[in-house]
Amino acid sequence: MSAQVRCVQALNAGLHELFEQRDDVYLLGEDLLDPYGGAFKVSAGLSTRWPDRVLPTPISEPSILGIAAGFALRGYRPIVEIMFGDFIALGYDQIVNGIAKFREMYDEQVTVPLVVRTPMGGRRGYGPTHSQSLEKLLMGVPGIVVVAASECHDLGGMLADAVLDDRPVFFIENKLMYGRPQRRPVDGWVDEFRVVEGEGPWPALTFSGNDFGRATATLVTYGGMLPLALEAATQLVLEEELFTEVVALGRLLPLDLEPVLGSLARTGRLVTVEEGTLTAGVGAEIAARVQEAAWDDLRAPVKRVAARDGIIPSARTLEDEMLPGVDDVVAAVAELAGLRR
Amino acid sequence: MLEIVLTREDANSESALLSEWLADDRAAVKKGHVVCVVETSKASVEIEAPADGILVHLVGEGVEVELGTTIAVVAKSEAEAATAGERKAAAPTPVEDGHRNVTRKAAALAAEHGIDLATIAKSGFVTEADVEAAIRAREPERLQLDPLLAGISTENVTLPATFDLDPAEGALAPEFLAELRADPAAFGALSSEERCERYRAAGAVVGDGVVLGRGTVIVAPRLVLGDGVRIEDGGRVTCAEVFAVGPLTRFGHSLQLSCRRAFVGSGVYAGVKLVIGGGGHRDPWATFVMGDDVYLGDEAYVNVARPVLIGAEAFVTMRSLLVTHNIGHSPLEGFENRFAGIVVEDRAQVGLGAIVYAGCRIGREAIVGSGSYVVSDVPAGMLALGVPARVAGPASREVPRSRQAELVRRWLHELHETLLLWDVPVERLEAGDGLEVGGDRGAGRVLFVESLRGGGVEPGAGETVVLTLDAGDAAPDGVVVFDLLARRAHGHDGGVLADSVREFCRKRGVRFRPGPWRYAGGLL
Repeated sequence: MSAQVRCVQALNAGLHELFEQRDDVYLLGEDLLDPYGGAFKVSAGLSTRWPDRVLPTPISEPSILGIAAGFALRGYRPIVEIMFGDFIALGYDQIVNGIAKFREMYDEQVTVPLVVRTPMGGRRGYGPTHSQSLEKLLMGVPGIVVVAASECHDLGGMLADAVLDDRPVFFIENKLMYGRPQRRPVDGWVDEFRVVEGEGPWPALTFSGNDFGRATATLVTYGGMLPLALEAATQLVLEEELFTEVVALGRLLPLDLEPVLGSLARTGRLVTVEEGTLTAGVGAEIAARVQEAAWDDLRAPVKRVAARDGIIPSARTLEDEMLPGVDDVVAAVAELAGLRR
Repeated sequence: MLEIVLTREDANSESALLSEWLADDRAAVKKGHVVCVVETSKASVEIEAPADGILVHLVGEGVEVELGTTIAVVAKSEAEAATAGERKAAAPTPVEDGHRNVTRKAAALAAEHGIDLATIAKSGFVTEADVEAAIRAREPERLQLDPLLAGISTENVTLPATFDLDPAEGALAPEFLAELRADPAAFGALSSEERCERYRAAGAVVGDGVVLGRGTVIVAPRLVLGDGVRIEDGGRVTCAEVFAVGPLTRFGHSLQLSCRRAFVGSGVYAGVKLVIGGGGHRDPWATFVMGDDVYLGDEAYVNVARPVLIGAEAFVTMRSLLVTHNIGHSPLEGFENRFAGIVVEDRAQVGLGAIVYAGCRIGREAIVGSGSYVVSDVPAGMLALGVPARVAGPASREVPRSRQAELVRRWLHELHETLLLWDVPVERLEAGDGLEVGGDRGAGRVLFVESLRGGGVEPGAGETVVLTLDAGDAAPDGVVVFDLLARRAHGHDGGVLADSVREFCRKRGVRFRPGPWRYAGGLL
């Protein structure tokens, strides 16, 4: 059991490694100091080893982001921890009108190589303002990079790529993911799935239950929805011998469309799976781009599985009603496959 | 002994992760020593020993623990520690990362063939195809060299007597066969009697009263036609091996029948414009079997590339299609395309215009609704409806005895009306349920006696015909008894009134043994 590395440990180890390797890496955020080590323990141990480079801040996201932008403009590689992804909204002006624009506004004389780490996602009963998945708010901001970590990705490596990039990188984590074991492909396998990992930083992972043989649909997802998509894919195989490919994106902005198109060319049908709300969501953007790029490959309209366009309730049971689940993914594929269920 | 129970550490969590034991299992601990660390989503909490003693872990590291769970105890003695240790088995264990890798279809197939799934060495999912491969590996491919039924089960299919013919029976002289093949039209121009005589002379077994309609030609190396067989005008039968038909069977006009072998029972009624055969009729497995008293409706189409078995008293009604293969794209490209036999078990019914696809079996007394498309087996006794057909419920229902008796009384009333409309003088008997039929032919009585076990029916003037729900052991002499539930006729050997009543019952779905029997005309 203790041999299994949980995602929070993998991220934490990644941070420790970055701090060891580079003097210019700083961490800013709320409640970072040991023994607390950040709300989700991703930052545990850092303040003990590098007390000068872990900077606990007041509860003010605009300030944290502004200070971090200053660090970055001065050539440091700051990492910001925003305790809950929902609080991105509090610092939105710094992101939209500052961080994203400085490089062009100052004629590329400066860069803003900061990383903002933050967890999205619900299913913990944290209520309306601590459970959202707001990637869509970041995807609409030109000039930044949005990265989505999943339990099957190389979390430490993705984090290092984010720190080394000269652009502002928003590194989206997930609250449920933290406690789950990291499931990196071993010899190209994760459980029953064959996995192909793309090239370059923040690669997409493509999963196949039948070694990339004939499949009914492609499920494209990211981050915390990956285990749900894989569970749906598993159920479809076990119950119906219906195979799907699952693409877990590593980079949402600029959108990494190639692996989606590659899989779609094999399957002909696409289901987008995200935890954020439906309207103007990640799936909407993917669907729009796919129909522009690969109309001939689509044998059916793209289906979107997402949260209802509503506010996430605090009660866990009601939360499940609001958020997309495994059954919703299974139902979407079954409908595309023409199965009556 | 004191228990260490996980309590609520923050408002949000219903469980916590036991991240690390700081004191080993069975270690001596002092009150206040930190023994383990648990993590909730928002906090990392150290848990202290509540007393001095021996620590006994009940939950391992890395386990998500519900609030209220006892994660350890502190025992006062080794004996107490040993007892406490036994509780560990009942404590939560980490969920094994699912090894659910066998599909439902694969599991079912493995169970059916006794394949041990553990012997299938494979990464990833184990599918039906993997189990099929394991079956093949275990049982080297056996050649199916008995093409007659190609391994298809005859369970619930009563084969006709013609199926068990002596292989020598009805063999035609080769030169006659050659002549038939060379100029069938000239042979077809002969009269029915002449053709029957020529067949007999060449070695065929052709019973009395066989009628071959105008132009009908049968080309088959072996030919057996029972008494009273009738093939109406324009029939064309080509069987590469044998065409054998039981007595009193009738094929309507324009019959097209082609297959390697056809075994047709007695008393079969086959409608007009039938097409039996199709492109695969020369395949080694092209066997067509129709049991006794089968009804095959007008314009039915049966393609016989693989065996088609239709059990006794089955109904395959007008414009039904039974297809043992389809024409389409390659299964290697994922398209459905197969060759497989079809079985319609005894007394099953295929509704008007229904299609039964290759490999399907319609169970005994099952019904396929009109217009349905059957792509999987229909269990015995069930009603299947729709496109594709799905089981909708039982094909029949229990009828209480009182209701059965009421139905027969109604039939008697209907018979009364029918006879009157045919100008037959008939009156109700004053006592009991019965009719008195007058006139110059078929005069006599038709009685309904619910049970004959008490006796009480005597022969009278003219014919005496008794309908009953229970004939008992012996029917009285001199009367004709139709046992409606056992579907048996006793003492029926002609008689205009008995024939008429039997025909009346036949039209209402009651066909009596012994057979075959055909209505030769009477009062109706």
